[in-house]
Amino acid sequence: MTLAGLPLAWLVGIGAGAAAVTVLLYILKLRRRPVAVAFAPLWHRVLGDRDASRLFSKLRRWLSLALQLLLVLLLCLALGDPRPSHELGSGRHLVLLIDASASMQATDEKPTRLDAAKNVARKLVRGLGGSDRALVVAMGAVPVPLSTMSDEATELLAAVDRVHAADTRADLGRALELASDALHGLPNGEVVVLSDGVLTPPEPPPDLGGAALRFAPVGKSGKNLAITAFSVRRYPLDKSRLEVMTELANLDSERAEVELSLFGDGAIIDSERLVIEPGARLSRFFPDVGGARHALEARLRYADGRADALPADDRAYALVPERRRAKVLVVTPGNTYLEAALLLDEYLDVTDLKPSQYPPRGAFDATIFDGVAPPPADASGGLVYLNPPAEGGPVKLGKTITGFGFDTWDKKSPLLRFIAPGDVQVATGHALDPSPGDKIVGASDDGPILVAGNRSGRPFVVLGFDPRQSDLVLRPAWPLFVLNAIDSFSESDTSYVSAYRTGEVWRVPVPPGAREAELTAPDGSTHAVPVEDGRAVTFGDHAGFYRLTSGSDATRVVTEFAANLSDLDESRILPHKTLTVASRQAAAPAVGSGGVRREVWLWLLAAVLLLSVVEWITYHRRVTV
Amino acid sequence: MKRTSQLRWALAALATAALAVAGYRKLLSAAAGGELAWTRGGVHYELLHPGVLAVLFVAPLLVWMLGRSLADLPFGQRLLALGFRLGFLALLALALARLVRTEDARNVALVALVDVSDSVPDEALADAKAELQKLYAARGHDDTLRLVTFATRPRLVEIEHDRKLALPPSLRHGPRGSPASATTNIASALELAYALFPPDRLKHVVLLSDGVETEGDLLAESARARSLGVRLSVVPYRHPPPAEVAVVGLRLPDKVDVGQSFDVAADVYASRATRARARLYQGETLNGLDGVRETSLHPGMNELKFKSVVRVGGELTYELKLEPLGPDEFSANNDYTATLDVPGRPSVLYVEGQPNRANYLASALGAQEFDVDVRAPGAFPASLRELERYDFVIVSDTPREAFPAAGQELVERYVRDLGGGFLFAGGDAGFGLGGWSHTTFERLLPVRMDAERRKEMPDVAMALVIDRSGSMTGLPMEMAKSACIATLGALQPDDMLEVVAFDSAPTRYVKLQPARYRSRIQSDVERIQPGGGTEIFSALDMAYQDLSVVRARRKHVILLTDGQAPEQGIRELVQSMVSASITVTTVGLGDGVKQDLLRSMADAGGGRFHFVPDPNSLPKIFTRETEMVSQQAGVEEWFPVEEVAPADFLKGIAIGSAPLLHGYVATELKPAPAQLVLQSDRGDPILARWRAGLGWALAWTSDVKNHWAVEWLRWSGYPKFWGQLVREHMRVKRRHELEMKTTVTGSHVRATVDAFTLDERFDDGLESNLFVSAAGKPQERTEHPFRQVAPGRYEADFDLTGYGAFLLRAEHAHRDAAGELKPFATSSGHVSNPYPREYASFDPDVAKLTRAAKSGGGVVDPTPAALFDPGSEKISTQKDLWDRFVLAAIVAFLLDLLVRRVRLWDRKPVRAKARS
Repeated sequence: MTLAGLPLAWLVGIGAGAAAVTVLLYILKLRRRPVAVAFAPLWHRVLGDRDASRLFSKLRRWLSLALQLLLVLLLCLALGDPRPSHELGSGRHLVLLIDASASMQATDEKPTRLDAAKNVARKLVRGLGGSDRALVVAMGAVPVPLSTMSDEATELLAAVDRVHAADTRADLGRALELASDALHGLPNGEVVVLSDGVLTPPEPPPDLGGAALRFAPVGKSGKNLAITAFSVRRYPLDKSRLEVMTELANLDSERAEVELSLFGDGAIIDSERLVIEPGARLSRFFPDVGGARHALEARLRYADGRADALPADDRAYALVPERRRAKVLVVTPGNTYLEAALLLDEYLDVTDLKPSQYPPRGAFDATIFDGVAPPPADASGGLVYLNPPAEGGPVKLGKTITGFGFDTWDKKSPLLRFIAPGDVQVATGHALDPSPGDKIVGASDDGPILVAGNRSGRPFVVLGFDPRQSDLVLRPAWPLFVLNAIDSFSESDTSYVSAYRTGEVWRVPVPPGAREAELTAPDGSTHAVPVEDGRAVTFGDHAGFYRLTSGSDATRVVTEFAANLSDLDESRILPHKTLTVASRQAAAPAVGSGGVRREVWLWLLAAVLLLSVVEWITYHRRVTV
Repeated sequence: MKRTSQLRWALAALATAALAVAGYRKLLSAAAGGELAWTRGGVHYELLHPGVLAVLFVAPLLVWMLGRSLADLPFGQRLLALGFRLGFLALLALALARLVRTEDARNVALVALVDVSDSVPDEALADAKAELQKLYAARGHDDTLRLVTFATRPRLVEIEHDRKLALPPSLRHGPRGSPASATTNIASALELAYALFPPDRLKHVVLLSDGVETEGDLLAESARARSLGVRLSVVPYRHPPPAEVAVVGLRLPDKVDVGQSFDVAADVYASRATRARARLYQGETLNGLDGVRETSLHPGMNELKFKSVVRVGGELTYELKLEPLGPDEFSANNDYTATLDVPGRPSVLYVEGQPNRANYLASALGAQEFDVDVRAPGAFPASLRELERYDFVIVSDTPREAFPAAGQELVERYVRDLGGGFLFAGGDAGFGLGGWSHTTFERLLPVRMDAERRKEMPDVAMALVIDRSGSMTGLPMEMAKSACIATLGALQPDDMLEVVAFDSAPTRYVKLQPARYRSRIQSDVERIQPGGGTEIFSALDMAYQDLSVVRARRKHVILLTDGQAPEQGIRELVQSMVSASITVTTVGLGDGVKQDLLRSMADAGGGRFHFVPDPNSLPKIFTRETEMVSQQAGVEEWFPVEEVAPADFLKGIAIGSAPLLHGYVATELKPAPAQLVLQSDRGDPILARWRAGLGWALAWTSDVKNHWAVEWLRWSGYPKFWGQLVREHMRVKRRHELEMKTTVTGSHVRATVDAFTLDERFDDGLESNLFVSAAGKPQERTEHPFRQVAPGRYEADFDLTGYGAFLLRAEHAHRDAAGELKPFATSSGHVSNPYPREYASFDPDVAKLTRAAKSGGGVVDPTPAALFDPGSEKISTQKDLWDRFVLAAIVAFLLDLLVRRVRLWDRKPVRAKARS
């Protein structure tokens, strides 16, 4: 037994003082009231009674003192907060992995599966033995410990309260690894998984190092409809039109008639009734949707208005790729062909600048350097270099070459979309010497002449010759090349992601040059996120619309994106009653005896309460005096 | 009076009970409304378990007992005692109800995360220990310091013993190079740290690392740490890395054409200046153009360029092996493999038993846009990896013993597992004639080779032409005789045998006669005696003359010689024999023979050449020869080919107008699904095919060259026939190619394919599968379905199961109206994961650590004092006040006792009037 409260010396002092006062008060005889009595024979009776009860009276007095001293002792003991220390090393060490995945939001348990799991966890915490300790971990896509390995029920229960479900799947393997790490070197380890069993068995299974695996299942039924994919893309050619894709799943054992509604900026734009066979998936495409809307949402429900067990996967979100006017800066001493090419796209906002005037104010999506290569400003966007000088460009120049053309080129490169440069003739230019990681898009037999790459998160394209020294500018390929180059920086076409998937690390493109970003989650909370290689890095665990603000005040850019659960396995919410890891079936958790455990002072005070009431009664009825 | 008093006390008890009940109900409603928390003087108070206050329901009982008290105390003192006792109980009840006060704490719990992975040198760990000592010394009285070391997994390390710092001698998790320290997962160490912060401490983490992580995502985790209230600071290791050389990349061009030279660039990291020898392997052999390089490496990244060229299209693996010529701590990172998909014309491996006659079919296939690799049987590929580069394999007119022993199994796996196409063509050494009965090839092919046509087959006429020159004296002569007798034993009774022995002139020891006269023939053979010189021509001519006048289905001459002989006229004689359908096999005994002459005689004579160093093996060779000749499966006659079943590859080819063939090997068609496509006028199979596993196996029982198919060579349909046949049955029909992008995160790979229709709209609804195999192990491939995730976009995820180069091949199919899958396109790609990434980079990634510190709200290189400095941070903790209530209760208890033990007033004698 150890004392967690006041030190022993203090307790002895307090106890001795209180006991001394008590004994002193018992030594002091209660002064009787003097009463004058006229009739002497009565004294004989009184004195006779007194002689007869003397022994009993003494006994009552001693009993009374003993009771008072016992009360003092109990109070002092309670102040010491005694703990059963002798078993501390031999108790169990539990890691409670509470499944906080999307399927735990299912409402087949009231109010949710997660609440049912938390109730089981609370019972386990209250049932911990005197020398048991536990660690509470929220098991989502990433396991997060919410307490220390503690025997404090208050801390553990508070940690259980803090478990909230996310819109992700749970990573059992990672959680078991964390549990194994936390139990390393501790005796009697137990890992208790509180879950509906909608978990992917870890492969390879982690080594639990001798710790027992236990499983407390929750959940009752698995009726669920789900949107397992929702996405939107602009057509590569006609960027004013969109195609929307949804994939629906009926994870019930009965045929389901469902209603799928599509909302654009909050207003319904389409709705249809569909029949999905049990266990089947159904893809629906909405082609040629007008591109004016920005935020799309799909909602799924039973046609007869019934609710399914998991509402979290009945909604999905997507953002239409933005088609704002791209701001393009052209740094050139004058190039009619370039200006003409840029006139062809109405979605370009072009600013011309003499090289001597560089850098300008403002932010741009792309900057074209024509024959010059000054140090690029922060908000320059992607960079296109046409015939760069030897110094300043992102790629070193090789030898001067004459009379060449494109002998090989990357047909799949977006820079050469709709272009066959094989018959372009060039009078003079330079071979390029790309760095490792750069992509050679086009090359003559004498070396690379068109190279794309990325420097510190800033994409670039370098053309090794002055287009005016070739017949390229006389061909339809020229404006296509310029516009392709600008398009390739904006990620607005084929590589656009209309929705991220929860449970993964998101790398959201931010404007080139941005060094920090602030993320606003669907619930309105904001937090800073780091930026690496031109992308904001954050772990996403909730579905909905997000806002990412990057850049400083002058160049502040707001990027919006959506995130969805989109996880068929997580939508298969039929609960599992067993959990098998590495061919080992987990046993049910053992609930301790409860009651007599750490907080002994509670019971001591309860005893004091009871004794003091008894003492009050006996005193006033003169059982004790 | 007494009754009135009791009534009064009862009323008082009831009133107390009513007050208690009313108070308790109010308390409960306040608790439900969350009002049992209040702030006073800036301090927040809360009653955690208000229900416990129900113990005060004993108060009426105390009042009631007071009314019935027998104690001799003045009324006022009794009331005072009741008050103290109720106060005592109330204080205990409040203690049990857990009144807590929320207060701000500024004590720090610091968790030091120390990177002990393999990329960290010992000197850096010594620095880390020194840093830990400083931290331990700098911590405040109520601050805590915990240590977590991490590599592949994190470990909590106890650092205190008897209230003193006691660091373990080694912080590492195992010897360098072991799996426990071959990866770095900083994020998992942070996750474990979350479990080490007591609730009443500020949460600080200091990360001591080189920032090189191979699993997890530090940046994402640092942002999460901040959201959980954890402040992350970093101390980058700044020690120079150990002496190390590593191949960190092998770059191949995106596109390579067959025959075009290109550069293979290797990125080689060196931590300090050194020298190394680099070997580049193309497939399993050294890169032909530029294979070995010895070079100086400067500190940092070095680029080595090798010239290479690919001769045959298909998947090809390059491997760079680096041999450091200076100190190098880890050897795991000295090898790097990468794969290349070289699009080329479909390639055909053509193995011809008579390579000098291979040009006919090779030219025909070349004209049909195939790359043809002609090889002699002995040069057959030794591994499936090499064989896999071909789309179709032809084995033609090759005797079994000339074919590598393992070759048959390789072909079978190539066909069955890899979907290759295989054609077995006949000739004198094809099918049963080549000894292929009861072999893997017979099992693989759609025909049986032991055709039961013995009765219809004509006899064999065989002439043995034996050298009896002086050099044959002794064992050679005896063994030659034994060989003749063994030949006799292998012949059927009706077969004809002649033995001609020659020195300077030939002698007919055994006249051409049926083999049934065994005893006579044997005795004639025994008469052969060694003589003088060596004159082959006249002996061979004698055999030719004798055989040409006899009627027999097969006529064969075996010439045995051990010496030099004049060559004049021999070749012409053999030509004449061939035109008379007499085949010639030559056997050279000993080193003195003219091997070139004998080989050319056998080649021209449609037989085989055997070089025999040991005379003891002569009988075996003669027996084998006789068995092959007397297989009696060869049918040599002019016949037309008939089309039996329609086949796609015969479209546009008028088989009916094809010239006659001049022979074939009789075989028997196996039961269905074997399919007979062409047959002879006798109904024997000429071309049969069936599906074997994933591929096709075809049997062509005639030959493909200027022997039996001599007229076909002049036929205009010959190239087209073979071209279309190969094209239909070859391994993978190259289809539309969709670009596949791969992203690798740790060991997780995501492959993405975008599919567009010709009019640049999205190609939706594809059913696609991804096949992943480690380079060199095509048979161990795994399959992963693609999922459509957006219009026209498909994704597949998988985890790499080991290290090396991995080939990715995707098959995309449309489902047609009838519900059948129609293959439509393929994608290919490759992923290299040659060794744990821990060994790829040794320079500290200070930039990443700096970002993580910024994102985690901390600083880079903090002082120990700064790490324990709470700054403006504070954390709210709940202070339980129960012990104070217990202390107060002790005081109340003593006061209660005092009031009951000491008469405070009413001490004067009671006056008589009062008594009255």
